[in-house]
Amino acid sequence: MKEETLSSALTFVSAGFMAVFSLAPFLYMFATSFNASPDYLTGGFNFTLANYKDVLGVKSLHFLDYLRNSLIVSFVSSVVTVLLASLAAYAITRLEMKGKAAILLFVLAVSMFPQVSLIGYLFRVMTELDLINTYTALVLPYIAWILPLALWILVSYFTQIPKELDRAAVIDGCSKWQVLFKVLLPVSLPGIFSTALLSFIFAFNEFIFALMLTTDYQSRTIPVGIALFQGLHGETPWGQIMAASTLTTLPILLFTLLFQRHIVQGLTRGAVKG
Amino acid sequence: MKIHINGVQKTYSTLRKKTEVLKNINITVEDREFFVLLGPSGCGKSTLLNIIAGLEPMTGGELRFGDRLVASVNKKDFVQPKERNVAMVFQNYALYPHLTVFENIAFPLRIARAGAEEIKSGVEKSAEILKISGHLQSKPAELSGGERQRVAIARAIVRRPDVLLFDEPLSNLDAQLRTATRVELKKLQRELGITTVYVTHDQVEAMTLGDRVAVLKDGLVQQLDTAIGLYERPANRFVAQFIGFPQINLFETEVKNGAFSLCGTDFPAPAQAPSGPVWAGIRPSDLELNDAGPLSGRVDTIELLGRDAVLYVSCGQLEFAILSERKDFREGDAVKFSLKQGKAHCFPR
Repeated sequence: MKEETLSSALTFVSAGFMAVFSLAPFLYMFATSFNASPDYLTGGFNFTLANYKDVLGVKSLHFLDYLRNSLIVSFVSSVVTVLLASLAAYAITRLEMKGKAAILLFVLAVSMFPQVSLIGYLFRVMTELDLINTYTALVLPYIAWILPLALWILVSYFTQIPKELDRAAVIDGCSKWQVLFKVLLPVSLPGIFSTALLSFIFAFNEFIFALMLTTDYQSRTIPVGIALFQGLHGETPWGQIMAASTLTTLPILLFTLLFQRHIVQGLTRGAVKG
Repeated sequence: MKIHINGVQKTYSTLRKKTEVLKNINITVEDREFFVLLGPSGCGKSTLLNIIAGLEPMTGGELRFGDRLVASVNKKDFVQPKERNVAMVFQNYALYPHLTVFENIAFPLRIARAGAEEIKSGVEKSAEILKISGHLQSKPAELSGGERQRVAIARAIVRRPDVLLFDEPLSNLDAQLRTATRVELKKLQRELGITTVYVTHDQVEAMTLGDRVAVLKDGLVQQLDTAIGLYERPANRFVAQFIGFPQINLFETEVKNGAFSLCGTDFPAPAQAPSGPVWAGIRPSDLELNDAGPLSGRVDTIELLGRDAVLYVSCGQLEFAILSERKDFREGDAVKFSLKQGKAHCFPR
């Protein structure tokens, strides 16, 4: 009994600490976004909605343009990434092929290049291809950048699905493509959704590529957009930045809640004895 | 559908070594037969089943369904599983977890692009035969192990396959359910009249289900016979030991002048027994308590089986297991017993 109390107390304390630690910046952001004083810590709290009105209403801030750009770029990147990653993961986990481990390790190695080391080269390539300040300039590197992670997640997910399921499908008359689309993908839907969501978040938050490869509101994404917010008189407009940041977290929050049902584990329960 | 397995071999090669899983398998499964492949784990029985199903290629020999060649060493002879019209039931059920029971059973028909009416009537009929009509809208996760295995069997028979394959389908069920399902499976196969190949490591399943049983070990058929044939005329020491409960008594001895000796008593050897060193095999049921002897010993242990008991009786260096209807013995009791006429087996040593 005593041990249980201790362990639940420990759980509570550590979980509480983690929650406070990671949520505190958000709380600060949230509070500042509703504050009329420029600096919340020294200026006191005066409630206002002006920051939100500015962010959504002032055309020159281009907040909604940035948001639109981000959503489009992140959506396309994550969909293409997951599509490619599931095909690759299927091949690696299910088809007879030499050098599977080598491929996985190679992909992992590629993903270890720091972004900064790529950016100069990328800038030149995109300039040559005349793609600077287009969605394509962001989508292509994002796919390449996120693909290794997505592949690793999906490979480990597919590995958990018993091979008897494939065999049953083959016996039931499925071709290799049908095995993938009628059995493996539907069964791994939770894994695919979480991978897609993760890819989306990665692309949505990406900063350096977006900073270098876009030049204005026509394709600039929101992290860069917010960072480059200018106050009317040259000061840093904290209130508007915080309001914009708060609004930016909404789509991610929304997606997570929306797909939560699909992300929950255990859909494979019942496939085999369990 | 008659299945001809002619000289089938299977070798797995890795860089380091070659493993011969099937060495030279020759079996003909008769039309409508319930055929059992029996053997310990690693004997190659599941590999053989996969080769029949078309899930694995072979590295030697050929496989025919009736007159039709469905696989050989030649890759171009390989007929895909769906064109072989086989169905398979797996040990772990392998149901599609994202589909309802109805859709699981309907799956082979949908892949074959059957019409909606055909699917509905086919699924309902299979479900009725397997007594799972009440679960059609459930997901596999909501079913018990026994129900899941029924769904798997329903899915297998819905397409009216020419050949039904079972890969240890009862191993995951608890003992009571296993026995009940075994009986139903036998009945079902009789009613459907589909040629069936059934893989198991359980000799009781093999004996009760199989019209004929092939005992496999080390990639070779040790013996192919009816269940009773395996029990009464085991071809070698392995089969004799593998089949029958309680296990056969085996003693090292020698055949001289048509007789072998145990505990100082001579017994006539079977007519076809080789001369020289042998294993003498005597089933516990072929030994009977007999006040006239000639064998005698002391009871070491008694195992109660219900109607019968197994007495472990030591006689000099040897220990005999004796199946006895009398159970009123205590450890240390002296007993006399004899061997039923003509029931001894001799295997070269």
